Amino acid sequence: MLDAFLFLGLPYLALVSLVAGSIWRYRRNRFSYSALSSQFLERKQLRWGSLPWHVGLLVVFIGHLVPFVAPGLWQSLVANRGFLLAVETAGVAAALLALGGLTVLAVRRVFSGPLQRITTTMDLIIVGLLIVQVILGLGVALHHRWGAQWSGRTLGPYLWSVVTLRPEAEWVAAMPPLVKLHVAGAFAIFALLPFSRLVHAFSLPVEYLWRAPQKVVWNNPRRWRMRPAAVRQVEESRRYFLRGAGALAGAGVLLGAGVTDKLVRYFRGPEMSQEQEVALLRKKLERLEMTAEERELELERKRQAIIHVAALAELNRTEGKYFIDYQMRPALAFKDADGLPLLISAKCTHLGCTVASQVDPQGRILCPCHISYFDIATGKPNAGSPAKAPLPHIGWVLMDGAGELIARRAPGGSVEGTPTSQQLEGAQVYIAREYAGGSEA
Amino acid sequence: MKTAQLVQTSLEFLTDRFPIEKMNVNSLVRTKEVPVHRMSWAYYLGGLALFLFLVQLVTGLMLMFYYEPTVSDAHASVERITEHIGGGALVRNLHTWSASAMIFAVVVHMLTAFAMKAFAKPREITWVSGVLLLLITFAFGFTGYLLPWHQIAVNATKVGLQSIEEAGAYLPGAMSAWPGALKELIQGEASVGQATLSRFYAIHVMVLPLAFFGVLSLHLLSVQLHGMSQGVDRPTGRTERFFPFFILKDAWLWGVVFLVLFVVALCLPFEAFFSYPLFEAYDAMGSTPDGIKPEWYFYFIYYPLELLPFWVIMLAQNAAIAVLLAAPWIFRKTSRRALGVITVAVATYLVVMTVFGQQIYEMFKGGA
Repeated sequence: MLDAFLFLGLPYLALVSLVAGSIWRYRRNRFSYSALSSQFLERKQLRWGSLPWHVGLLVVFIGHLVPFVAPGLWQSLVANRGFLLAVETAGVAAALLALGGLTVLAVRRVFSGPLQRITTTMDLIIVGLLIVQVILGLGVALHHRWGAQWSGRTLGPYLWSVVTLRPEAEWVAAMPPLVKLHVAGAFAIFALLPFSRLVHAFSLPVEYLWRAPQKVVWNNPRRWRMRPAAVRQVEESRRYFLRGAGALAGAGVLLGAGVTDKLVRYFRGPEMSQEQEVALLRKKLERLEMTAEERELELERKRQAIIHVAALAELNRTEGKYFIDYQMRPALAFKDADGLPLLISAKCTHLGCTVASQVDPQGRILCPCHISYFDIATGKPNAGSPAKAPLPHIGWVLMDGAGELIARRAPGGSVEGTPTSQQLEGAQVYIAREYAGGSEA
Repeated sequence: MKTAQLVQTSLEFLTDRFPIEKMNVNSLVRTKEVPVHRMSWAYYLGGLALFLFLVQLVTGLMLMFYYEPTVSDAHASVERITEHIGGGALVRNLHTWSASAMIFAVVVHMLTAFAMKAFAKPREITWVSGVLLLLITFAFGFTGYLLPWHQIAVNATKVGLQSIEEAGAYLPGAMSAWPGALKELIQGEASVGQATLSRFYAIHVMVLPLAFFGVLSLHLLSVQLHGMSQGVDRPTGRTERFFPFFILKDAWLWGVVFLVLFVVALCLPFEAFFSYPLFEAYDAMGSTPDGIKPEWYFYFIYYPLELLPFWVIMLAQNAAIAVLLAAPWIFRKTSRRALGVITVAVATYLVVMTVFGQQIYEMFKGGA
């Protein structure tokens, strides 16, 4: 019952209040559609309150908005450990900053004398609500870790269901109480937004970002007389310079320390455990063996007039066996309908990818790069495929176990010799160098 | 034209482009002024590209300490850098991200320079050397892509090189074999293998950097000799001093860009956007996995290549390079307004093809 109110009723209540309340306030008293400035009454604390609060809030707000607007992109980003860590850290840091600022603001509202005169009850309620909300958010972040990841698959869909007017409270029903409170708190703040100073979020003077800077000068004649402008300017510029130089030097030291640490660790070399080293060495050895195998194949092709492909019995009609032809290109070996071998190049005639070995029901093999189907009987690609030229057949030589020639076929030629089925049983398939030149086309 | 006259004209051309009297620090640095107007931001792009090149240089050198350019060890050595060497993943990510950023900066630099008619006399040499630098940058991208020796790298390189051979079908008689021979010359053997890796490595870490340094010094010298171009039809008359103000702003931009690059490289491996099997070590015996694509900055030529007959692309590509190189003379009398329209059209094409290339491809080739 409470869940139904908090997650089905409250969001729409908040929405109605937000829209209707904003319109009401804008029409009733247009110039109140902002936040009443208190800078004249108290400045020192404001700087340490307002700035951290707004910066922290902005970061946290973006962190809530992006996963909601672009859930797919966000999920693919937070799938990376580094990104997730960075986002969570930045989020908690920003929340702490916001909380600190907010606390200063609250203290100032309560204890500064002049401020009492312009502080409304609503201001106090809002600042209290915001503090509670930020603490709840921090609690969620610290207690139920990796919210950047899990919220995308739970709270995101819930919010979308609310926005698309098909609310599904089940998404949040099983959530821990901290999360539920944080969500409900957000709705409460949205509901109160038009009736409080928070409306200034909608009357943000964005054009300040690019208009020429203006400085409001308090025209106090006494001060003016006491310190001539030139002196003040020199003092001010010297102060700015020193401050800037100090900040730069500090940043430089930090940067230098970071870079030195990384550089030293980089050039010192790998930091590996025994197992990792073993695994890496094993992998390297495997690759070397593979390379050695390739080199052997190459050497064999340079020296041998014929090269063994497979036993005829190993071949079948549904899945080809990869082998390497005389030009060191991939090729596939099948058994044809007449029980004789069928050898065809596997280097796609389009852009040279390796064609897959599975034969589909229509007797075709597929090049996955740009989807060309080649008929293995003719080698021809399907109509409309990116590949235009057929895959060339490769000539073969068939020998029995004793090395006696049983049959052979030049590329494009017909079968020479008529082997008996008994001969075929133990037969071995070879490719021959004399046929290699012909298949160059 | 008589020989004497020819010599005379070429001498005049050269003295106009390389005025000896300006070759001193005072006029190259101290008195140089940068125009201030609404397109002034474009003046920072060249410097940005230069900075990203320096990042590439440093991170590239660092990677060379551990990278092993052999077919058996390349993949394992890259894996060792990313997984086991302190800060190795960072250096490698910086290298890939900053490569992409550099391509982006260079292309935008070219587009804005074109729109601002920065190639007009006496800046022809600046422009032509810039186009050469652009081509070298793309060559960097193409050769660097192969080095990790994973599935997508080797197969994409195969596809890219094969398209050279395709040209043979359009040439008559004996000439039809030339492109194939050229392809084999580039890859060093019948198919992409150790010879290709060695060649690409040498090209990537020695040949291209040396060429880049040469052309770059010409480019920078002529930029400093002639100053920034006016850029707009009605100059505001306002300028700012190149040294120290413009240079400081340059440095400020570099700092911001490096910070962004650093954070991105720290959090996001470049490979995060591809499916895993593409980054397995290349397997010469197996079939090619799905999803082989070149780097995103080749999409503008890759998708049309998939959709249109090869000769159209070949013609368009050569025409585009020729037009780019000859732009100072072709567009000598074109107004900035017309150049701007052309630039926007080209930029739209590049953005649409890069972002929606896959969708466009599926729209036309979906059924097949």
